[in-house]
Amino acid sequence: MHKTISLALGTICAVFLFFTMISAIRFVQSAWQPPEPQQRAEERYRLVLITQDLGTPFWNKVGEGAEAEAEKLGANLEIWGTYGEDREDFLKQLEIAIDSKVDGIIVQGMDQDDFDNLTKVKAAFYGIPVITVASDVPMSDSMRKTYVGSNALAAGRMIAERLVADMGEKGTVVLLGDSREEYDQRQRVLGVRGVLSAYPNIRIEYVTTSDEEQRIAAATQDVMNRFPEVKAFISVDANLTAAMVQEIGKRSRIDPYYIYSFDDNPDIKALLGQGKLDGVVEQAPSEMGETGVRMMVQWLDGKTVPLDPEGYPTPIRISTTEDAS
Amino acid sequence: MIGIQRKIWTLTALVMFIMASIWIMLTYYNQKTQDQYNDILQRYLRMNEVTSASKQTVNSLNIYLLTPTEGNLSSLRRSEEQLRQAQSSIGLLRNGGNDFALTSYMNLIDSLIETSDRSVLFKSEQENEDSSRAFAEATRISGYISEMTLQLLDIELNTYQQFYRSIIEQAEELKKLGIWILLAITFGLLLFTYWFSLSITRPVQQLTKAAQDLAKGQFERQIVVNSSDEISFLATTFERMRVNINNLILEIREKARLESELQQNRLLLQESQLRSLQSQINPHFLFNILDTLSKKAFLEGAEETSDLLVSVAGLLRYNLKRLDRAVTLYDEVRVMRQYMEIQTARFTDRLTLITEIDESCLSTPVPGLTLQPIVENAVTHAIEPSESGGTIRMTIADAGDCVTVEIADDGPGMSEEKIRGILEERDTQPEGHSTGIGFGNVVRRLRLFYGTPDVIEIDGGEGRGVRVLLKLPKIRRHDTYDKTADRG
Repeated sequence: MHKTISLALGTICAVFLFFTMISAIRFVQSAWQPPEPQQRAEERYRLVLITQDLGTPFWNKVGEGAEAEAEKLGANLEIWGTYGEDREDFLKQLEIAIDSKVDGIIVQGMDQDDFDNLTKVKAAFYGIPVITVASDVPMSDSMRKTYVGSNALAAGRMIAERLVADMGEKGTVVLLGDSREEYDQRQRVLGVRGVLSAYPNIRIEYVTTSDEEQRIAAATQDVMNRFPEVKAFISVDANLTAAMVQEIGKRSRIDPYYIYSFDDNPDIKALLGQGKLDGVVEQAPSEMGETGVRMMVQWLDGKTVPLDPEGYPTPIRISTTEDAS
Repeated sequence: MIGIQRKIWTLTALVMFIMASIWIMLTYYNQKTQDQYNDILQRYLRMNEVTSASKQTVNSLNIYLLTPTEGNLSSLRRSEEQLRQAQSSIGLLRNGGNDFALTSYMNLIDSLIETSDRSVLFKSEQENEDSSRAFAEATRISGYISEMTLQLLDIELNTYQQFYRSIIEQAEELKKLGIWILLAITFGLLLFTYWFSLSITRPVQQLTKAAQDLAKGQFERQIVVNSSDEISFLATTFERMRVNINNLILEIREKARLESELQQNRLLLQESQLRSLQSQINPHFLFNILDTLSKKAFLEGAEETSDLLVSVAGLLRYNLKRLDRAVTLYDEVRVMRQYMEIQTARFTDRLTLITEIDESCLSTPVPGLTLQPIVENAVTHAIEPSESGGTIRMTIADAGDCVTVEIADDGPGMSEEKIRGILEERDTQPEGHSTGIGFGNVVRRLRLFYGTPDVIEIDGGEGRGVRVLLKLPKIRRHDTYDKTADRG
């Protein structure tokens, strides 16, 4: 009797003790220490990469390349930016970066007075080096240390040579560009013109439009009305390409036209794959990021002073529908 | 010896210890959680402080620019000082996750102060346009600071997310742990209390049982209590009492037995004395007559008659003299022979006595007049009723520590009832021509003399003859018989 009661109580007690132990262990294990406070700021370069087109494949690659390089060089890189070309916010970010006194700014160039003001006056005032990436702004305007990215002039030239090879030495070519006519775009147009001017039978029509879809469509329509014999289109701003191609497609078949563009817009790849574009200048975004960070660190370390004001071009190549498929 | 009090103290101490440990644990955990919460709140508050300090600075700057007085300037300086303090306290919040943002944040604060100073400087140099431009910039920076605060809070939430979750999880686990501990302790205490109460009540029960036994008069059972406390002391004392009482009772019983034996002896002696007195009626006159008769018979040539008379006289003398003292077997055998001579004279050829006597055994002490009554009994029962007579066989032999005396006859035997009567020392009515002393009397005296009941065996049944076997120890157990006899 006594034994039975003792045994029963003992068993129950042991079972509960077992569960208590498990619970206690879980309780102790669930404790998670807060992150260790850091007494001092890290002695690493604080770099900021600012772009207007966060989230696009092109800029994702630039960011990846930059981060990998920053990791390698032991720099602290943050990628800031805006989605969908919010210029105002972009400039604000740039100003914050300058006011935060980062060690270096790698920025997508924007050929605007506000931008130039910030880089030329404010950044220079605080002594913060600025490197433009992917899109350039002339050094005289922006006081940038250097430019890392495709050589827009060469890209224009490349596309023009391709055009001549495809189309022949005769025909009307429409160049469609953004009405803001940034430095990049001007360089590209310059490149195209440079090549095509050698062919007297090739006529160049340069059309600019703002980047709203309707305007692009209207501009395309207008130019096709005015020059029905147009044979080729070169969209010098990748952001305009999709709308332009759509508009052409609305009017007639796309095939007879030679349409060329650049790759710094997410839609381009798809259009090329569908065969709606005849050729695209493909750039090397990840190398842009890499080189940008490397150059910045080299400048900060004082290894390469001054940086080449002409810039460090990254490779470009023409990619056709065959390549894409 | 663990006292009951100490046991109770132990139990209480144990319970209190467990309670205290749990209390301390809970308090510690609560304190820790509270500290953690405080830390977290502190972080948020500090960040918020920066925002409000920066706004305050811009506000002060604005007021100063509108009305540039000393007072407003010093209030601006105070605001800036506050902002710097907030900045330095923010520096403590740095960790791996927010390093970049925090550095930017602090630099932003620096920029704000610098811009503010620049604005003041321009103002003092009357360059109002530059001053207001700097003010606009300061306002913008203040806005950036607010934004950055939000960003930092966001980072904070991300970095600490797991920590917050772990706090919640831990609180949940603590709840469960509490329940388990409660259950475990409840049952543990139940078990402990059970053992503990058992260790007190079991000895009490054992003691109660022992007391009941004693009350019933069972003093022989030993009192055993498995305990080492006060109860055990009680039990030991109780046990000693029991042993004492038991000893006293045994002593009293022994005394009572001796008393009754003594009483019996006295009665027996009185009876014997009475009988001897009865037979002492002028013994000398009887002896003289028997002597005279013997001589006269001798002179008249009846030698046989003379011898017979001598035997009768000897027997009579022996009877009178030896009843109350120890004699040797030799004397007994002699008297028995004299008796047999007399009886032979009476029964002539009908009585045959065969004796086989080991002479070395004849020095054994025996109570007086023991053989003769047995032989007389045999003669009375076996020879007298039979016309053809019979044989009485007597054997005395050495059997180690005792001497056996066997008297057997070939008569019709005795009934079981009668034998039992003799062995239970009941005096039977003397039959026929007895010398006066009954068989029962002999048995009683033998037992008293040797102090053991195992002295005599009677074997006999109807038609088988009677065989009486005496086992006389060579060494007597005690001398009670003699002493009482002497006293008597």
